[in-house]
Amino acid sequence: MKIYDMDQKAYVDIVKYDNPVTKAEQLADSLYCYAHHIFKVVYDQSQPALKSYIASLEASQLSDDGMQWLFFTSGTTGTPTGVYKTRENSFKQAQALIQTLKGMSFDRVVTTVPFVHIYGIDIGGVVPFELDIDVWVKENFLPEELALEAEKEHTLIVTTPIFIKALNRIKKDVTFKNTLFLTSTAPLPAEEAKMFKEHYGASVVQLFASTETGLISYKTDDETILHAYDIVQISEKNDRLCISSPLVTKKVINNGAKEDVVLPFQTEDIVEIIGEKAFKLLGRSSNLAKISGKRISTIQIESLIERIEGVDAVLIRIRRDDKALKDEILDIYVEGSTLDAKTVRACLKKELGTIHIPFKIHNDKKILRSSVGKKIGFE
Amino acid sequence: MVTTHELKEKIIAGLGLEDMEPDEIGDDMALFGDDGLGLDSVDAIEITLILEKEFGVKVTNMDENKNIFSTPNTLVNYINEQKA
Repeated sequence: MKIYDMDQKAYVDIVKYDNPVTKAEQLADSLYCYAHHIFKVVYDQSQPALKSYIASLEASQLSDDGMQWLFFTSGTTGTPTGVYKTRENSFKQAQALIQTLKGMSFDRVVTTVPFVHIYGIDIGGVVPFELDIDVWVKENFLPEELALEAEKEHTLIVTTPIFIKALNRIKKDVTFKNTLFLTSTAPLPAEEAKMFKEHYGASVVQLFASTETGLISYKTDDETILHAYDIVQISEKNDRLCISSPLVTKKVINNGAKEDVVLPFQTEDIVEIIGEKAFKLLGRSSNLAKISGKRISTIQIESLIERIEGVDAVLIRIRRDDKALKDEILDIYVEGSTLDAKTVRACLKKELGTIHIPFKIHNDKKILRSSVGKKIGFE
Repeated sequence: MVTTHELKEKIIAGLGLEDMEPDEIGDDMALFGDDGLGLDSVDAIEITLILEKEFGVKVTNMDENKNIFSTPNTLVNYINEQKA
Protein backbone atom coordinates (compact mmCIF):
# COMPACT_ATOMS: atom_id res chain seq x y z
CA MET A 1 0.00 0.00 0.00
CA LYS A 2 1.00 3.62 -0.53
CA ILE A 3 -0.10 6.98 0.84
CA TYR A 4 -1.15 9.59 -1.72
CA ASP A 5 -0.93 13.19 -0.54
CA MET A 6 -3.62 14.98 -2.55
CA ASP A 7 -2.30 18.42 -1.59
CA GLN A 8 1.21 17.67 -2.85
CA LYS A 9 -0.10 15.46 -5.67
CA ALA A 10 2.57 12.90 -4.77
CA TYR A 11 3.00 9.61 -2.98
CA VAL A 12 4.53 9.74 0.49
CA ASP A 13 6.90 7.06 1.74
CA ILE A 14 5.93 5.19 4.88
CA VAL A 15 8.80 6.39 7.05
CA LYS A 16 9.38 7.65 10.58
CA TYR A 17 8.77 11.36 11.22
CA ASP A 18 10.06 12.99 14.41
CA ASN A 19 7.42 15.68 14.32
CA PRO A 20 4.66 14.77 11.86
CA VAL A 21 2.57 17.82 11.00
CA THR A 22 0.47 17.12 7.90
CA LYS A 23 -2.11 14.35 7.71
CA ALA A 24 0.10 12.48 5.21
CA GLU A 25 3.06 12.66 7.61
CA GLN A 26 0.91 11.62 10.59
CA LEU A 27 -0.34 8.59 8.68
CA ALA A 28 3.10 7.67 7.30
CA ASP A 29 4.61 7.81 10.78
CA SER A 30 1.77 5.80 12.35
CA LEU A 31 1.89 3.09 9.72
CA TYR A 32 5.69 2.90 9.97
CA CYS A 33 5.30 2.34 13.73
CA TYR A 34 2.57 -0.25 13.15
CA ALA A 35 4.57 -2.12 10.50
CA HIS A 36 7.73 -2.18 12.63
CA HIS A 37 6.05 -2.79 16.03
CA ILE A 38 7.25 0.57 17.37
CA PHE A 39 5.28 2.04 20.27
CA LYS A 40 3.69 5.46 19.57
CA VAL A 41 1.85 8.04 21.68
CA VAL A 42 -1.05 9.55 19.74
CA TYR A 43 -2.91 12.74 20.63
CA ASP A 44 -4.28 15.95 19.17
CA GLN A 45 -1.50 18.51 19.54
CA SER A 46 -3.87 21.40 18.78
CA GLN A 47 -5.38 21.14 22.28
CA PRO A 48 -3.37 23.15 24.83
CA ALA A 49 -4.85 21.53 27.95
CA LEU A 50 -4.14 18.05 26.59
CA LYS A 51 -0.56 18.96 25.66
CA SER A 52 0.22 20.31 29.10
CA TYR A 53 -1.41 17.33 30.79
CA ILE A 54 0.75 14.88 28.83
CA ALA A 55 3.85 16.97 29.50
CA SER A 56 3.08 16.71 33.23
CA LEU A 57 3.10 12.89 33.21
CA GLU A 58 6.16 10.93 34.24
CA ALA A 59 8.04 9.19 31.44
CA SER A 60 7.23 5.78 32.96
CA GLN A 61 3.51 6.46 32.43
CA LEU A 62 4.03 7.05 28.74
CA SER A 63 5.13 3.55 27.77
CA ASP A 64 4.24 -0.01 28.60
CA ASP A 65 5.61 -3.38 27.51
CA GLY A 66 3.82 -5.06 24.63
CA MET A 67 1.78 -2.03 23.67
CA GLN A 68 1.51 -0.51 20.18
CA TRP A 69 -0.34 2.74 20.90
CA LEU A 70 -1.13 5.09 23.72
CA PHE A 71 -4.12 7.14 22.55
CA PHE A 72 -5.14 10.16 24.58
CA THR A 73 -8.80 11.10 24.47
CA SER A 74 -9.37 14.72 23.62
CA GLY A 75 -9.52 16.14 27.14
CA THR A 76 -12.80 17.85 26.35
CA THR A 77 -14.56 15.51 28.76
CA GLY A 78 -12.51 16.42 31.80
CA THR A 79 -9.11 14.95 32.61
CA PRO A 80 -7.86 13.20 29.47
CA THR A 81 -7.71 9.42 29.56
CA GLY A 82 -4.70 7.62 28.14
CA VAL A 83 -5.72 4.37 26.48
CA TYR A 84 -3.13 1.69 25.75
CA LYS A 85 -3.73 -0.56 22.77
CA THR A 86 -1.81 -3.58 21.53
CA ARG A 87 -0.96 -4.28 17.91
CA GLU A 88 -3.32 -7.25 18.17
CA ASN A 89 -6.15 -4.84 19.13
CA SER A 90 -5.63 -2.92 15.89
CA PHE A 91 -5.17 -6.03 13.75
CA LYS A 92 -8.29 -7.82 15.07
CA GLN A 93 -10.29 -4.63 14.74
CA ALA A 94 -9.25 -4.26 11.11
CA GLN A 95 -10.25 -7.88 10.44
CA ALA A 96 -13.64 -7.33 12.11
CA LEU A 97 -14.27 -4.24 10.02
CA ILE A 98 -13.21 -5.92 6.78
CA GLN A 99 -15.85 -8.61 7.41
CA THR A 100 -18.44 -5.80 7.61
CA LEU A 101 -17.60 -4.71 4.08
CA LYS A 102 -19.75 -7.61 2.88
CA GLY A 103 -17.69 -8.75 -0.05
CA MET A 104 -17.35 -5.33 -1.64
CA SER A 105 -13.93 -4.80 -3.18
CA PHE A 106 -12.01 -1.53 -3.00
CA ASP A 107 -9.04 -0.15 -4.90
CA ARG A 108 -8.31 2.61 -2.42
CA VAL A 109 -9.39 4.42 0.73
CA VAL A 110 -10.05 8.17 0.77
CA THR A 111 -10.11 9.62 4.26
CA THR A 112 -11.22 13.03 5.51
CA VAL A 113 -10.25 12.41 9.12
CA PRO A 114 -6.97 13.29 10.88
CA PHE A 115 -4.63 10.66 12.27
CA VAL A 116 -4.55 11.88 15.86
CA HIS A 117 -7.06 9.42 17.29
CA ILE A 118 -8.03 5.77 17.07
CA TYR A 119 -10.67 6.19 14.36
CA GLY A 120 -8.26 7.86 11.95
CA ILE A 121 -5.36 5.50 12.58
CA ASP A 122 -7.14 2.16 12.90
CA ILE A 123 -9.92 2.63 10.34
CA GLY A 124 -8.27 5.13 8.00
CA GLY A 125 -4.79 3.61 8.22
CA VAL A 126 -4.56 0.04 9.52
CA VAL A 127 -7.58 -1.19 7.50
CA PRO A 128 -6.08 -0.17 4.11
CA PHE A 129 -2.68 -1.41 5.33
CA GLU A 130 -4.15 -4.85 5.99
CA LEU A 131 -6.12 -4.76 2.72
CA ASP A 132 -2.94 -3.61 0.93
CA ILE A 133 -4.68 -0.75 -0.87
CA ASP A 134 -3.65 2.91 -1.17
CA VAL A 135 -4.87 5.69 1.12
CA TRP A 136 -5.58 9.16 -0.25
CA VAL A 137 -5.37 12.02 2.23
CA LYS A 138 -5.91 15.77 2.07
CA GLU A 139 -5.66 18.44 4.75
CA ASN A 140 -9.03 20.09 4.10
CA PHE A 141 -11.78 18.49 2.05
CA LEU A 142 -14.73 20.36 0.68
CA PRO A 143 -17.93 18.40 -0.02
CA GLU A 144 -17.49 19.04 -3.76
CA GLU A 145 -13.97 17.60 -3.63
CA LEU A 146 -15.09 14.53 -1.72
CA ALA A 147 -17.90 13.99 -4.25
CA LEU A 148 -15.34 13.91 -7.08
CA GLU A 149 -13.38 11.19 -5.28
CA ALA A 150 -16.50 9.21 -4.38
CA GLU A 151 -17.54 9.11 -8.03
CA LYS A 152 -14.55 6.89 -8.77
CA GLU A 153 -15.74 3.32 -8.35
CA HIS A 154 -14.45 0.92 -5.71
CA THR A 155 -13.54 3.69 -3.27
CA LEU A 156 -13.92 3.28 0.47
CA ILE A 157 -14.52 6.68 2.07
CA VAL A 158 -13.60 7.05 5.75
CA THR A 159 -15.34 10.16 6.99
CA THR A 160 -17.77 11.67 9.50
CA PRO A 161 -21.52 12.41 9.47
CA ILE A 162 -20.65 16.05 8.72
CA PHE A 163 -19.72 15.16 5.14
CA ILE A 164 -22.83 13.01 4.64
CA LYS A 165 -25.00 15.96 5.69
CA ALA A 166 -22.97 18.38 3.55
CA LEU A 167 -23.27 16.13 0.48
CA ASN A 168 -27.02 15.90 1.09
CA ARG A 169 -27.22 19.67 1.10
CA ILE A 170 -25.34 20.21 -2.18
CA LYS A 171 -27.31 17.38 -3.83
CA LYS A 172 -24.75 17.00 -6.60
CA ASP A 173 -26.13 15.33 -9.71
CA VAL A 174 -23.90 12.26 -9.54
CA THR A 175 -24.04 8.71 -8.22
CA PHE A 176 -21.42 6.94 -6.16
CA LYS A 177 -21.49 3.49 -7.71
CA ASN A 178 -19.57 0.77 -5.85
CA THR A 179 -18.40 3.27 -3.27
CA LEU A 180 -19.00 2.80 0.44
CA PHE A 181 -18.93 5.46 3.15
CA LEU A 182 -17.83 4.69 6.72
CA THR A 183 -18.68 7.26 9.36
CA SER A 184 -17.58 7.64 12.95
CA THR A 185 -19.68 7.40 16.05
CA ALA A 186 -21.40 10.78 16.07
CA PRO A 187 -25.04 10.14 15.33
CA LEU A 188 -26.23 10.50 11.75
CA PRO A 189 -30.01 11.05 11.70
CA ALA A 190 -31.80 8.18 9.92
CA GLU A 191 -33.47 10.69 7.62
CA GLU A 192 -30.07 11.96 6.41
CA ALA A 193 -28.78 8.42 5.82
CA LYS A 194 -31.90 7.53 3.85
CA MET A 195 -31.70 10.71 1.77
CA PHE A 196 -28.04 10.01 1.00
CA LYS A 197 -28.73 6.45 -0.14
CA GLU A 198 -31.64 7.54 -2.31
CA HIS A 199 -29.80 10.43 -3.94
CA TYR A 200 -26.27 9.08 -4.37
CA GLY A 201 -26.96 5.32 -4.44
CA ALA A 202 -24.22 4.63 -1.90
CA SER A 203 -24.51 3.10 1.53
CA VAL A 204 -23.28 4.61 4.78
CA VAL A 205 -22.01 2.21 7.43
CA GLN A 206 -22.03 3.97 10.79
CA LEU A 207 -19.45 2.58 13.20
CA PHE A 208 -20.11 2.61 16.92
CA ALA A 209 -16.93 2.56 18.98
CA SER A 210 -14.84 4.31 21.57
CA THR A 211 -11.12 4.59 22.21
CA GLU A 212 -11.38 2.32 25.24
CA THR A 213 -13.58 -0.38 23.68
CA GLY A 214 -12.51 -0.26 20.04
CA LEU A 215 -15.23 -1.19 17.55
CA ILE A 216 -18.43 -2.35 19.17
CA SER A 217 -21.07 -2.45 16.47
CA TYR A 218 -22.32 -0.95 13.23
CA LYS A 219 -25.50 -0.10 11.36
CA THR A 220 -26.14 0.51 7.70
CA ASP A 221 -28.05 3.45 6.18
CA ASP A 222 -31.26 4.23 8.10
CA GLU A 223 -31.23 1.13 10.31
CA THR A 224 -32.07 1.88 13.94
CA ILE A 225 -30.56 -1.29 15.39
CA LEU A 226 -26.83 -1.62 15.96
CA HIS A 227 -25.24 -5.01 15.21
CA ALA A 228 -22.39 -6.04 17.47
CA TYR A 229 -19.32 -7.52 15.81
CA ASP A 230 -18.90 -11.31 16.15
CA ILE A 231 -15.99 -10.94 18.58
CA VAL A 232 -17.88 -8.46 20.78
CA GLN A 233 -20.08 -9.62 23.68
CA ILE A 234 -22.67 -7.08 24.78
CA SER A 235 -24.56 -6.81 28.06
CA GLU A 236 -26.25 -4.11 30.06
CA LYS A 237 -25.98 -2.94 33.67
CA ASN A 238 -28.11 -0.10 35.05
CA ASP A 239 -29.22 0.59 31.47
CA ARG A 240 -25.61 1.17 30.42
CA LEU A 241 -23.86 -0.81 27.70
CA CYS A 242 -21.12 -3.20 28.86
CA ILE A 243 -18.56 -4.70 26.50
CA SER A 244 -16.32 -7.75 26.56
CA SER A 245 -14.10 -8.19 23.54
CA PRO A 246 -10.48 -8.63 22.50
CA LEU A 247 -10.60 -5.04 21.22
CA VAL A 248 -11.04 -3.50 24.68
CA THR A 249 -7.97 -1.86 26.20
CA LYS A 250 -6.26 -3.70 29.04
CA LYS A 251 -4.74 -0.61 30.59
CA VAL A 252 -5.57 3.08 30.88
CA ILE A 253 -4.06 6.18 32.47
CA ASN A 254 -6.63 7.87 34.70
CA ASN A 255 -5.71 11.01 36.64
CA GLY A 256 -2.04 10.36 36.07
CA ALA A 257 -2.01 6.74 37.21
CA LYS A 258 -2.01 3.50 35.22
CA GLU A 259 -5.00 1.25 35.89
CA ASP A 260 -5.86 -2.24 34.66
CA VAL A 261 -9.21 -2.51 32.92
CA VAL A 262 -11.63 -5.17 34.07
CA LEU A 263 -14.11 -6.74 31.67
CA PRO A 264 -16.91 -6.22 30.96
CA PHE A 265 -16.13 -2.57 30.34
CA GLN A 266 -19.04 -0.29 31.20
CA THR A 267 -19.61 2.56 28.76
CA GLU A 268 -21.50 5.84 29.20
CA ASP A 269 -24.11 4.79 26.62
CA ILE A 270 -27.69 4.05 27.63
CA VAL A 271 -28.99 1.17 25.53
CA GLU A 272 -31.79 -1.31 25.07
CA ILE A 273 -30.46 -4.79 24.29
CA ILE A 274 -32.77 -6.53 21.85
CA GLY A 275 -30.79 -9.65 20.99
CA GLU A 276 -27.50 -11.44 21.53
CA LYS A 277 -25.79 -9.12 19.04
CA ALA A 278 -28.26 -6.29 18.66
CA PHE A 279 -29.11 -3.17 20.62
CA LYS A 280 -30.61 0.27 20.32
CA LEU A 281 -28.80 3.38 21.47
CA LEU A 282 -31.07 5.49 23.67
CA GLY A 283 -28.67 8.20 24.85
CA ARG A 284 -25.68 8.94 27.00
CA SER A 285 -25.56 8.68 30.76
CA SER A 286 -23.30 11.66 31.26
CA ASN A 287 -23.64 15.16 29.93
CA LEU A 288 -21.65 14.78 26.75
CA ALA A 289 -22.11 16.73 23.56
CA LYS A 290 -20.28 15.82 20.36
CA ILE A 291 -19.00 18.79 18.40
CA SER A 292 -16.61 18.62 15.46
CA GLY A 293 -16.00 14.97 16.27
CA LYS A 294 -14.98 15.66 19.86
CA ARG A 295 -16.93 14.63 22.91
CA ILE A 296 -17.45 17.71 25.05
CA SER A 297 -18.37 17.41 28.70
CA THR A 298 -20.91 20.05 29.65
CA ILE A 299 -19.82 19.63 33.25
CA GLN A 300 -16.28 20.59 32.30
CA ILE A 301 -17.51 23.61 30.33
CA GLU A 302 -19.66 24.68 33.30
CA SER A 303 -16.62 24.47 35.51
CA LEU A 304 -14.46 26.49 33.07
CA ILE A 305 -17.04 29.28 32.81
CA GLU A 306 -17.59 29.31 36.57
CA ARG A 307 -13.92 30.33 36.90
CA ILE A 308 -14.74 33.68 35.25
CA GLU A 309 -14.81 36.42 37.87
CA GLY A 310 -18.30 37.27 39.12
CA VAL A 311 -19.96 34.08 37.85
CA ASP A 312 -21.72 32.23 40.68
CA ALA A 313 -23.00 29.22 38.79
CA VAL A 314 -23.45 27.89 35.26
CA LEU A 315 -25.80 25.24 33.94
CA ILE A 316 -25.55 23.85 30.42
CA ARG A 317 -28.19 22.07 28.41
CA ILE A 318 -27.58 20.47 25.02
CA ARG A 319 -29.97 21.44 22.22
CA ARG A 320 -30.08 19.47 18.94
CA ASP A 321 -30.48 20.85 15.45
CA ASP A 322 -30.28 17.85 13.11
CA LYS A 323 -30.01 20.01 10.01
CA ALA A 324 -26.83 21.80 11.10
CA LEU A 325 -23.38 20.28 10.49
CA LYS A 326 -22.61 21.04 14.13
CA ASP A 327 -25.87 19.60 15.34
CA GLU A 328 -25.46 20.07 19.09
CA ILE A 329 -25.71 23.59 20.52
CA LEU A 330 -25.01 24.47 24.13
CA ASP A 331 -27.51 26.63 26.00
CA ILE A 332 -25.48 28.28 28.78
CA TYR A 333 -27.50 29.54 31.77
CA VAL A 334 -25.50 31.96 33.94
CA GLU A 335 -26.12 33.05 37.54
CA GLY A 336 -24.43 36.03 39.18
CA SER A 337 -22.97 37.77 36.16
CA THR A 338 -23.77 39.03 32.68
CA LEU A 339 -21.45 37.30 30.26
CA ASP A 340 -20.93 38.12 26.61
CA ALA A 341 -20.07 35.65 23.87
CA LYS A 342 -16.56 37.03 23.41
CA THR A 343 -15.62 36.35 27.04
CA VAL A 344 -17.00 32.81 26.92
CA ARG A 345 -15.27 32.07 23.61
CA ALA A 346 -11.93 33.32 24.97
CA CYS A 347 -12.35 31.18 28.09
CA LEU A 348 -13.12 28.03 26.09
CA LYS A 349 -10.36 28.65 23.57
CA LYS A 350 -7.77 28.92 26.33
CA GLU A 351 -8.55 25.43 27.59
CA LEU A 352 -9.91 23.59 24.59
CA GLY A 353 -7.94 25.06 21.69
CA THR A 354 -9.28 25.86 18.26
CA ILE A 355 -12.53 23.92 18.39
CA HIS A 356 -15.41 26.32 17.86
CA ILE A 357 -18.43 25.41 19.98
CA PRO A 358 -21.87 26.79 19.05
CA PHE A 359 -23.64 28.20 22.11
CA LYS A 360 -26.23 30.67 23.33
CA ILE A 361 -25.86 32.50 26.64
CA HIS A 362 -28.85 33.06 28.93
CA ASN A 363 -27.79 35.59 31.58
CA ASP A 364 -29.29 36.47 34.97
CA LYS A 365 -30.73 33.05 35.72
CA LYS A 366 -31.15 31.47 39.11
CA ILE A 367 -29.65 27.97 39.00
CA LEU A 368 -31.76 25.50 40.97
CA ARG A 369 -30.08 22.77 42.98
CA SER A 370 -31.22 19.52 44.54
CA SER A 371 -30.86 18.86 48.27
CA VAL A 372 -27.42 17.35 47.60
CA GLY A 373 -26.28 20.35 45.57
CA LYS A 374 -26.71 18.90 42.08
CA LYS A 375 -27.76 21.46 39.47
CA ILE A 376 -31.21 20.51 38.27
CA GLY A 377 -32.56 23.48 36.38
CA PHE A 378 -32.96 27.25 36.32
CA GLU A 379 -35.46 30.02 36.98
CA MET B 1 -23.49 43.68 -4.91
CA VAL B 2 -23.35 41.60 -1.73
CA THR B 3 -22.21 43.60 1.32
CA THR B 4 -20.11 42.35 4.22
CA HIS B 5 -23.08 43.06 6.51
CA GLU B 6 -25.31 40.68 4.50
CA LEU B 7 -22.59 38.04 4.50
CA LYS B 8 -22.06 38.34 8.25
CA GLU B 9 -25.79 37.98 8.87
CA LYS B 10 -25.81 34.76 6.84
CA ILE B 11 -22.69 33.46 8.62
CA ILE B 12 -24.16 34.22 12.04
CA ALA B 13 -27.39 32.42 11.17
CA GLY B 14 -25.69 29.52 9.39
CA LEU B 15 -23.07 28.84 12.04
CA GLY B 16 -25.43 29.29 14.97
CA LEU B 17 -23.47 32.25 16.40
CA GLU B 18 -26.59 33.17 18.27
CA ASP B 19 -24.95 35.69 20.57
CA MET B 20 -23.23 37.73 17.89
CA GLU B 21 -24.25 40.80 15.94
CA PRO B 22 -22.80 41.56 12.49
CA ASP B 23 -21.10 44.68 13.85
CA GLU B 24 -19.05 42.57 16.26
CA ILE B 25 -17.29 40.93 13.34
CA GLY B 26 -14.80 43.28 11.74
CA ASP B 27 -14.60 43.36 7.94
CA ASP B 28 -10.91 42.45 8.19
CA MET B 29 -11.22 40.14 11.18
CA ALA B 30 -9.62 36.71 10.67
CA LEU B 31 -12.35 34.08 10.44
CA PHE B 32 -10.10 31.12 11.32
CA GLY B 33 -7.10 30.43 13.54
CA ASP B 34 -6.23 31.53 17.04
CA ASP B 35 -6.95 35.22 16.47
CA GLY B 36 -10.23 36.72 15.35
CA LEU B 37 -13.45 34.74 15.20
CA GLY B 38 -11.77 31.37 15.81
CA LEU B 39 -13.83 29.25 13.44
CA ASP B 40 -12.73 25.68 12.66
CA SER B 41 -12.68 23.30 9.70
CA VAL B 42 -16.32 22.23 10.09
CA ASP B 43 -17.33 25.89 9.99
CA ALA B 44 -15.35 26.24 6.74
CA ILE B 45 -17.48 23.52 5.18
CA GLU B 46 -20.62 25.24 6.48
CA ILE B 47 -19.50 28.55 4.93
CA THR B 48 -19.06 26.91 1.51
CA LEU B 49 -22.64 25.60 1.82
CA ILE B 50 -23.87 29.08 2.83
CA LEU B 51 -22.14 30.66 -0.19
CA GLU B 52 -23.81 28.17 -2.52
CA LYS B 53 -27.28 28.36 -1.00
CA GLU B 54 -27.50 32.06 -0.20
CA PHE B 55 -25.40 33.60 -2.96
CA GLY B 56 -25.31 30.93 -5.68
CA VAL B 57 -21.51 30.79 -5.54
CA LYS B 58 -19.67 27.46 -5.53
CA VAL B 59 -16.29 26.79 -3.99
CA THR B 60 -14.98 23.58 -5.48
CA ASN B 61 -11.30 23.64 -4.59
CA MET B 62 -10.07 24.59 -1.14
CA ASP B 63 -6.39 24.79 -2.16
CA GLU B 64 -6.97 27.29 -4.94
CA ASN B 65 -9.31 29.35 -2.78
CA LYS B 66 -7.62 29.36 0.62
CA ASN B 67 -7.22 33.15 0.68
CA ILE B 68 -10.90 33.89 0.11
CA PHE B 69 -11.74 32.43 3.53
CA SER B 70 -9.41 34.83 5.35
CA THR B 71 -11.84 37.61 6.32
CA PRO B 72 -15.41 38.82 5.58
CA ASN B 73 -13.90 41.27 3.07
CA THR B 74 -12.06 38.59 1.10
CA LEU B 75 -15.16 36.39 1.05
CA VAL B 76 -17.39 39.22 -0.18
CA ASN B 77 -14.88 40.14 -2.87
CA TYR B 78 -14.91 36.53 -4.07
CA ILE B 79 -18.73 36.39 -4.07
CA ASN B 80 -19.03 39.62 -6.05
CA GLU B 81 -16.33 38.56 -8.53
CA GLN B 82 -18.13 35.27 -9.15
CA LYS B 83 -21.49 36.99 -9.57
CA ALA B 84 -20.18 39.72 -11.90
